[in-house]
Amino acid sequence: MGMKNIVTTCLFIIIIFGFMIGNIITPDIEISFSERRTLTQAPGFSRRELISGDFFGKFEKYTLDQFVFRDKFRGLKAFMEFKIFKQKDNNGIYIVNGNINKLEYPLNENSVLYATSKINDIYKKHLININTSYAIIPDKNFFLASDNGYLSIDYDKLAEIISESITDGVKYINIYDILSVDDYYRTDIHWSQNRLIRVADKILTGLGSNKKASDIKYIQKELYPFFGSYYGQAAVNTEPDTLIYLTNDTLEKARVFDHYYKENISIYEPERFNGVDPYDVFLSGQKPLVTIENPDSSTKRGLLLFKDSFGNSIAPLLLAGYSKITLIDLRLVSADALDKFINFAEYQDALFLYCTQTLNNSYMLR
Amino acid sequence: MVFSSISFLYYFLPLVLLLYFLAPRRAKNLVLLISSLFFYFCGEPVYLFLMIAVTFSGYLHGLWINRAKDGRYAKVSLISSIFFGVAPLLFFKYTDFAIKNINLFFKLNIPALKLALPIGISFYTFQILSYTIDVYRGNARVQKSFIDFSAYVSLFPQLIAGPIVRYTTVESELYIRTHSLKDVASGINRFIIGLSKKVLIANSLGELGDIITELNEKTVLFFWLKAISFMIQIYYDFSGYSDMAIGLGRIFGFHFPENFNYPFISKSLTEFWRRWHISLGTWFRDYIYIPLGGNRKGMAKWLRNIFIVWFLTGFWHGAEWNLIFWGLYFAVFLCFEKLFWLGLLDKIPVFLRRIYTLFFTLISFVLFNGDGLGECFYNLKGMFGFLNIPFSNSEIYYYLKSYFITLLVAAIGATPLPKTLTEHLGNHKKTKSILNIIEPAVQVSLLLLVTAYLIDGSFNPFLYFRF
Repeated sequence: MGMKNIVTTCLFIIIIFGFMIGNIITPDIEISFSERRTLTQAPGFSRRELISGDFFGKFEKYTLDQFVFRDKFRGLKAFMEFKIFKQKDNNGIYIVNGNINKLEYPLNENSVLYATSKINDIYKKHLININTSYAIIPDKNFFLASDNGYLSIDYDKLAEIISESITDGVKYINIYDILSVDDYYRTDIHWSQNRLIRVADKILTGLGSNKKASDIKYIQKELYPFFGSYYGQAAVNTEPDTLIYLTNDTLEKARVFDHYYKENISIYEPERFNGVDPYDVFLSGQKPLVTIENPDSSTKRGLLLFKDSFGNSIAPLLLAGYSKITLIDLRLVSADALDKFINFAEYQDALFLYCTQTLNNSYMLR
Repeated sequence: MVFSSISFLYYFLPLVLLLYFLAPRRAKNLVLLISSLFFYFCGEPVYLFLMIAVTFSGYLHGLWINRAKDGRYAKVSLISSIFFGVAPLLFFKYTDFAIKNINLFFKLNIPALKLALPIGISFYTFQILSYTIDVYRGNARVQKSFIDFSAYVSLFPQLIAGPIVRYTTVESELYIRTHSLKDVASGINRFIIGLSKKVLIANSLGELGDIITELNEKTVLFFWLKAISFMIQIYYDFSGYSDMAIGLGRIFGFHFPENFNYPFISKSLTEFWRRWHISLGTWFRDYIYIPLGGNRKGMAKWLRNIFIVWFLTGFWHGAEWNLIFWGLYFAVFLCFEKLFWLGLLDKIPVFLRRIYTLFFTLISFVLFNGDGLGECFYNLKGMFGFLNIPFSNSEIYYYLKSYFITLLVAAIGATPLPKTLTEHLGNHKKTKSILNIIEPAVQVSLLLLVTAYLIDGSFNPFLYFRF
């Protein structure tokens, strides 16, 4: 009994003092790459914040974010939730055969209707004379959720709501049936560009182009290890993905203009692979307005691509059918401001390409 | 600041332990007082002064009552102490309730004060009252040191969510207490168990409750799962806090009373209340029920006393009608049990008596958990199929399946089974030596797990803080 008391007391003292000292002497980290967010820094001290209690609230957040071995502890929690408590998901993240995914549930019909009304408004204001289509990218839940006992939105209902509420001039290009879960990264939300040739072909055909991405020769480049956005959220040990991008001389030479920062960028920026979001390799990540010009195009057709982050990886493949593609991210630029940047007369086609997750949470569209 | 926080576990606690055990014996209460004031200041900077004022009032009244001895000034001082003790509680906790009801009944439009409730005011008010009343009764010696008295009232382990530690319980330990390795180790063990109950079970079930409340389609099974998970959550939350308080107290040489004794194995609601929030139940018994005459003055007065005590018990938990109804619900059951049912209950199998108790306890917590009476009755209608809703759907099955192990572990942990098993193993020489190795390893594992859950999670409210 005596020895047990000594051991208990010593271990407790070692742990609480050890971590206290560890936390104090370890330099603070600015960014959590696994969680893709900036971590809370030590709060500034002021009498007003002290009296209001804000200081201690901020200090608590700081201690949570700047704890030594933070990622290991998050992994421990995930292990407990999945393996011991047998919870189906941990913070909404679930894993099926090494494929990490995030629950998207329930179907938010109002959000879908809001997205459709946004498309309708833009169509009526700017695109009446442009050949306009829309396509819906199913998120990974479409392939993984219901078959494996996870909650899943009603994808048919989602498609039906859009089809019934979208204005007549906007045609539907169905890409559900040519996608499978293997077309997506296991550790990330996104699809993998090297698996999108046939998707690009179908979209090009749907838009009325006689060009095909499959007619173009691409060189495949690989970046490893790719820890996708779900990898950090899941906090479990699993094999990273390989980020693959397809390039060729045309794409290397393409002029890419960022309208917001008014600067030229590249279609692929491999140096961004080591940043917070490695998927930023494609068109430098989230940008409100970017125009890609194809130097070798045999057509004079222009495409307006209204998209979320999925659009960044397919846009280079769609360039097979266009001399110019302008990518518009309505999460970052207001629809009302578009005519300040875009001369709509220069474009023949328009495509609204959104993932189901964006449509189900569309209030971010401006 | 809450016990289940990184700032408490890995900053506040080690520093306080260091200062406390380095301090000479005569300075230990001062260290505890300063630490406790800082602990309170972290959560309620502004209301710290209120707590000090109420404490000072209790301290002065104790001196006055003692000086007046048995004279009539002693009684005046006692009444004054009760007035100045209860007034802040009434003002901060019940003013808006009174305004709301006055507006409702008299069709007025008096604006609510919308004051934040000072954390722990219900607990420290009752502790101070117990002191002055006990001094008046001659059950406690007057405390002449303001530091020692303040240390008692503000003692951070039990300051904000109990148990309600009476002055007489810790009176001698305030003057002199021993610090043994056995007490420290047993305190650490108890603290970690409480912390685990709170973080691993209560928080998890709280999350479940929050998630399923957000579901689009409500089903009968949803209402049952919500009720059951809340009942288990509040037990683990509150008993976990009490365990932590008792454990921390023991580390610092205090022996606080038990507050829970496996209430869900009770065989009647009368027994339930002997096992649930014991320190509150005994407080009301000793300072309200018995002074009113208890059961010694005839049936009518006994019934009156029961209803007064349970009205106050409900009202103590919060200024809401559903909490008053919750208290009166138990008054009705306790009266019926005492008058009619206990005899009958004794004749039926134990498991049926437990089901009876669990069922009506569950219903009581639906009353307790509702946001107003309307929601309570809505939830009850949902449970019993009066809302014209399906019995279940895939959503609720998903969450039931997902949290099944947590619920199972929680259910087993709410019985004496783990404790009995540990004691049983400890009684055999062979298993005892294994247990001596396993126990510290389990404690370390639990502490690290709790740390992991705290780092990864943001769901961490203590339910009893609102009281």
